[in-house]
Amino acid sequence: MTTSAIRVLVVDDEPAIRRALRPPLTELGFEMTEASRGEMALELLRTEPFDAVLLDVNMPGIGGIETLRRIRSMAPRLPVIILTVRDREEEKVGALEMGADDYVTKPFGVRELVARIRAAVRRVQAPPASEDAVIEIGEIRLSPSRRSVTKRGHAIHLTRKEFDILHCLMSRAGRVITYSRLLTAVWGADCREEVEYLRTFIRQLRKKIEDDPAHPRYMLTDIYVGYRFADQQMLDDQDASATQSLSTSDAEPASNLSIGTGQ
Amino acid sequence: MGAIRPRGLSRAFRTARGAGASAAEMRNLHEFTRSTLQMNLGVKPGPHIAEQLHTLFELDAVALFDADLREVYTAGKWSVDVNELAQNVYHFESSDDDRHTGISRRVIRLGSVPIGSLVLRGDVDPLTSSALAGIIAITFDRFRATANESRIEAEREAERMRATVLDSLAHAYKTPLTAIRAASSGLAEMGHLSAAQAELVSLIDEQAALLNELTNRLLTTARLESTDVQGTRASLQLEQVSAASLIDEIVASLGERSAANEIRIEILPTEFAFPCDRRLVSMLLTQYLDNACKYSDADSLITLRAERSETEVLLSVHSFGDIIPPSDRERIFDRYYRTSAAATRAAGTGIGLSIAKNAAAAHGGSVWVAAGERGGNTFFAAFPIASEAPSSSTDAERNIA
Repeated sequence: MTTSAIRVLVVDDEPAIRRALRPPLTELGFEMTEASRGEMALELLRTEPFDAVLLDVNMPGIGGIETLRRIRSMAPRLPVIILTVRDREEEKVGALEMGADDYVTKPFGVRELVARIRAAVRRVQAPPASEDAVIEIGEIRLSPSRRSVTKRGHAIHLTRKEFDILHCLMSRAGRVITYSRLLTAVWGADCREEVEYLRTFIRQLRKKIEDDPAHPRYMLTDIYVGYRFADQQMLDDQDASATQSLSTSDAEPASNLSIGTGQ
Repeated sequence: MGAIRPRGLSRAFRTARGAGASAAEMRNLHEFTRSTLQMNLGVKPGPHIAEQLHTLFELDAVALFDADLREVYTAGKWSVDVNELAQNVYHFESSDDDRHTGISRRVIRLGSVPIGSLVLRGDVDPLTSSALAGIIAITFDRFRATANESRIEAEREAERMRATVLDSLAHAYKTPLTAIRAASSGLAEMGHLSAAQAELVSLIDEQAALLNELTNRLLTTARLESTDVQGTRASLQLEQVSAASLIDEIVASLGERSAANEIRIEILPTEFAFPCDRRLVSMLLTQYLDNACKYSDADSLITLRAERSETEVLLSVHSFGDIIPPSDRERIFDRYYRTSAAATRAAGTGIGLSIAKNAAAAHGGSVWVAAGERGGNTFFAAFPIASEAPSSSTDAERNIA
């Protein structure tokens, strides 16, 4: 992992939340700077270097979304993780499509938050892979040039569209891909609304890829937002929590991934 | 005259014009009708009517009994106990004209139902008195209809307010909850805790999570009920939903909550889709499954079935566990109701099933629970579907707001 401290800018108008985050983030190797408004955050970003931004969406002043837009125009690659509440899926989707790297739903656990920040920083720091490079995550191996997929060395037969979906997800592993982005990438912009169609394909894909499609390990659902393919770190975390919880069943997706299921 | 006469008025006029009524009385009758039609129906009409009859028809005295409000309105001077007089006219349904005393008594009827009485003393044609009783009946009725309407409107308004308050309250809870959760989970992540400290920290974390769940449910209820109350289903986001992918998603999202049970899925026919609000139906099924996991015997089988017939889609969740007594079967869908057994067995909020009920109701469907044939309980949710008209599915899709 990173040797030097990750410099994170926490932007939230609630002092209690900033106060609660400072001790654990500092203890866990982050260097935390606070801003209570978007305007203030933009000011800080102009003068100080940061590795990641934690950005609340609902703030007075210009608000989180506008702050995000301005951050993107000045720092296109700076990891931005937005903080939002459960029943605001449109907000999540909107922020993701405006270039947020990820989101965390309030109230969140520190472990989940830290994992998200680290993953986003890691992705930015990783050297960009070439379009044709083979992608290998867990037991799944995808070769773009040969358009082939194997699991534990065995070939998996996929239709053309299934392959395209998987390629799109695996090449951005760890990131949530919104429905409309995935639909646009695979079928074109005309189909960006056909979510139910996409769900059917994902269902077929899970049957081919997952050991237990009812408890997917790789192809995870962010309910009402999109899908994400687990990256290596997430798979390791799944394994760790499975052993920890003494669960006899398959590894669960990290609890943060079942957003919106508590209703 | 701009006002339109309600039905029944014409008859009153024909009666009065038939014989006797003078031209002046006819003009007064017109004037009286005009003013009752323009009356502010937000206030009870009785006092104003009595006053107007008195001056307009130059009567000695007027008494008017509104049986619904149980009030007598008078104008002019009465030497007898007119309250009793007016009420007796109503109770004994006696309409007559006494030439000696100059008193006319009329039962005010709506159709054949007496709703009050009118007693006049003065020089007025009997037919005019009858016409007046008819006009007053219509006015009383219009007042009642208006009052009813505004009462319903007021109830709706109160319900909307309640939902709004609940909604903002729930959102206001999120900030302290986030701080608590961040602090408790942060403490745990930082380590250096003794076993006892770790135990307390995890208790805080757990309870914060419970409080959050409760808050989410309140939010959902508030939203569902505010939809409900507006009397429209406009905010339902209807789309064609494939039962199989919906169920897959729900089961997957249960995560470790379902770890202690095996869930069997039966879908008939295997691939079917139906128009519904995906979010609401998934909330309902999640609730059923959550309950099944929570209250069923460990390691027992949970069966989730989705069946489509010509007229409806029937979803059901069966689990083995203590049978819900018949007396509880309806009430468990009421908000905050928890069976005595549930109250002692597992943590719950008593809101979940009422959400399920509202979610089905929003689709025009229904929910119920029955004892399973092989023991345990089966929770059902039925969603009516339009018959297999080929256009129905696309219509539903187009209706998405």
